[in-house]
Amino acid sequence: METTQLYIFKTDIGKLCANCEVHKALDNHTGIQQWSIDSEDVDCVLRVSTTSLTAGAIIILINSLGHKCQEL
Amino acid sequence: MRTRDTDKEKLVTQKAIEQIVQDGFQGFSMNKLAKACNISVATLYIYYKDKDDLIEKIGFEIGSRFFSSTVKDFSPDMPFEEGLWKQWQNRAAFAMANPLEVACLEVIKHSPHRDRIMASDKLSDFKEIMKRFITNALNNNELVPMSFEVFWSVAYGPLYTLLNFHREGKSMGGKPFSLTAAMMEEAFKASVKALKP
Repeated sequence: METTQLYIFKTDIGKLCANCEVHKALDNHTGIQQWSIDSEDVDCVLRVSTTSLTAGAIIILINSLGHKCQEL
Repeated sequence: MRTRDTDKEKLVTQKAIEQIVQDGFQGFSMNKLAKACNISVATLYIYYKDKDDLIEKIGFEIGSRFFSSTVKDFSPDMPFEEGLWKQWQNRAAFAMANPLEVACLEVIKHSPHRDRIMASDKLSDFKEIMKRFITNALNNNELVPMSFEVFWSVAYGPLYTLLNFHREGKSMGGKPFSLTAAMMEEAFKASVKALKP
């Protein structure tokens, strides 16, 4: 059975809308089971549950969309 | 792999309750909570998605404990006066033993989180039980028909007022106050008198 990993990142994703690139990219990624961003928190914490991605891969994905991303 | 730790989870719940009671939701933040628990904010996010998620989970936990203790040795088929007295005793016992939790529930009650917490299965079961108790009392002619809000305020209002005085340690005009069993019975008798046909 695949195990799900939970990764926690500090980001600069302040506001999130359903049409944002980040929203679409995370929603449509087959390796991501669940994700959420606490945009009210100072660290704009992103949580990602994944069975296949590494923390590094998620950072590259978020960086490529123009946002900072650092594992906490 | 990040894992959950139940001891830490308990500490987080305890500190969160303290902070919500002290500072309200506005002054409460994940960062402050993490600091008070001496854990990293990342650890906190393993347990909870965000501040709202945390408030709702904690509210649900306190609510479940409150409702379980409220229905202890209680049945909606009890005669009205006996059942209502059991309710008073159970509710008072919980409030006396868990003053912080009750204060936290009060804060949550006056927020939009309330509806989401109350919608959960366990808590709607509780609502059903209490509704059945009232319906039985009405059918058995043990209760004067009245609107639900009026019933609730007459049936439980006196108890909660006394419990609030007790929690604050003072009553009107700052007069020192401590709730006794005799006072509770006195208030109960007055309340039942108003409710019985």
